[in-house]
Amino acid sequence: MQASKCNCGKIVVLYRKICPNCGKQMTSIEFENDAEILTHTKLYTVPEGFNSPIFLALVEFEQGIKLLCECKNEDDLKIGKKGKVIKEKNKYYFVGNNKERLLSFFFF
Amino acid sequence: MTGVYISDVGITRFGRRKEPLQTLMYEAYENAVSTIEPKFDAVFIGCMNPDEFVGDSNFATLIVDYFGLYQTPSVRIDNAPASGSAAFEQAFFSIASGQYEKVLVLAGEKMSTLPTSMVTKILSKLIDNYERCTGATMPALAALVTRRYMHEYGLSREDLALAAVKNHHNGTLNPYAQFQKEITVEDVLKSKMISDPLHLYDCASISDGACAAILTSKKTDVKVAGIGHATDFLSLQYRNSLTSFNATKVAAKRAYDRAHKRPKDIDVAEVHDAFTILEMVNPEDLGFFKPGEGIEALVNGKTQLSGELPINTSGGLKARGHPVGATGLAQICEIVWQFRGEAGKRQVPAKIGLCHNIGGFVNNNIVTILESC
Repeated sequence: MQASKCNCGKIVVLYRKICPNCGKQMTSIEFENDAEILTHTKLYTVPEGFNSPIFLALVEFEQGIKLLCECKNEDDLKIGKKGKVIKEKNKYYFVGNNKERLLSFFFF
Repeated sequence: MTGVYISDVGITRFGRRKEPLQTLMYEAYENAVSTIEPKFDAVFIGCMNPDEFVGDSNFATLIVDYFGLYQTPSVRIDNAPASGSAAFEQAFFSIASGQYEKVLVLAGEKMSTLPTSMVTKILSKLIDNYERCTGATMPALAALVTRRYMHEYGLSREDLALAAVKNHHNGTLNPYAQFQKEITVEDVLKSKMISDPLHLYDCASISDGACAAILTSKKTDVKVAGIGHATDFLSLQYRNSLTSFNATKVAAKRAYDRAHKRPKDIDVAEVHDAFTILEMVNPEDLGFFKPGEGIEALVNGKTQLSGELPINTSGGLKARGHPVGATGLAQICEIVWQFRGEAGKRQVPAKIGLCHNIGGFVNNNIVTILESC
């Protein structure tokens, strides 16, 4: 996974040039995709163009890096649930630590 | 700096209205004044998105034309759902600077012309582009905050519903409120699930309505004691906390410092309860209660009409309604009525009042402190 880091300490996922915290230049860093769910929701009333429901999880990686992800499996929606974040077609998905599920995700 | 005072305030009934937005704004203006004398140094209009909601742009010119204010300077201010208080803030600066002596502030929105899915889509544009691409909506972000707050502070789903119950009760006493009926905790929990754990009755409604206020350099009985304004990161995922909002804390500190007041000086407050969870978090961030103690304050009735710090006497965004651009000025109208003893059955004793208006998902916040004098 890639994030942008600033000397001020701010780290954000997705590339950006200018630090949102202090306005200085950010540099690219790599980090592991192991994550833990901080909070989650099942969204039923979706904007036009989306299918209901959407499972959303706000997850935390190492160094306090946070990312809003979709979850494919409703069962993964638990605070403290550990797993990995996988990028697929420019979207980030959280997949809970469960071997069978990880395999089925890759071969789906 | 010139002192800035409020002479008149007016509001329309909020809810689903047939009239065009400019007609609603004129109705608010008529309700504000005893005689129609449209002569102002400038007009400041808070309105988030007339382009998409009603199909009009160049709205500031449309309004001065409609009001017969030929040649009067006019500007529309879009500051997301904090447009009403942002227009009030710019009007305040225009008088404080000594440039103008008497200005009209209008604020309003007309949202009910579009289907809910379209309104949801328009409001979702307030969210960071990446987060929006996941399908996240404003209620979804509020739901994420709600679940984390429940986890950290042990808030129960039933206790959270009390925020909507209290504000609906206050709404029954406000003739301008969109919803004037009592609801129960059970009603909240039985209402449609929007974004788990938030139900329909946890969320402010789609609404139409407008407000007007006249600001002047001449002393009146209501002084604008201080305004504080602050922003936060656009993305929720960039924020330092999920259960407290820095834009509120910083805006509040700036407002308290400028008004020479402290949280304990406040007698009555209107806080931005677009979602029930915000009625927990906002009073904590404003310094009224410690983190997590917003629950006890609500459950024990500290914030109800008879409590030590009544919050959202108007019914708040939940019951008064939330025409996004109107809300910030509607909060100010309510405080002025409370000072003047014009709040009817929801009257509380008040000399110093605070309004807290949120733009975006709690990332462009304005705190306004008013003082009766």
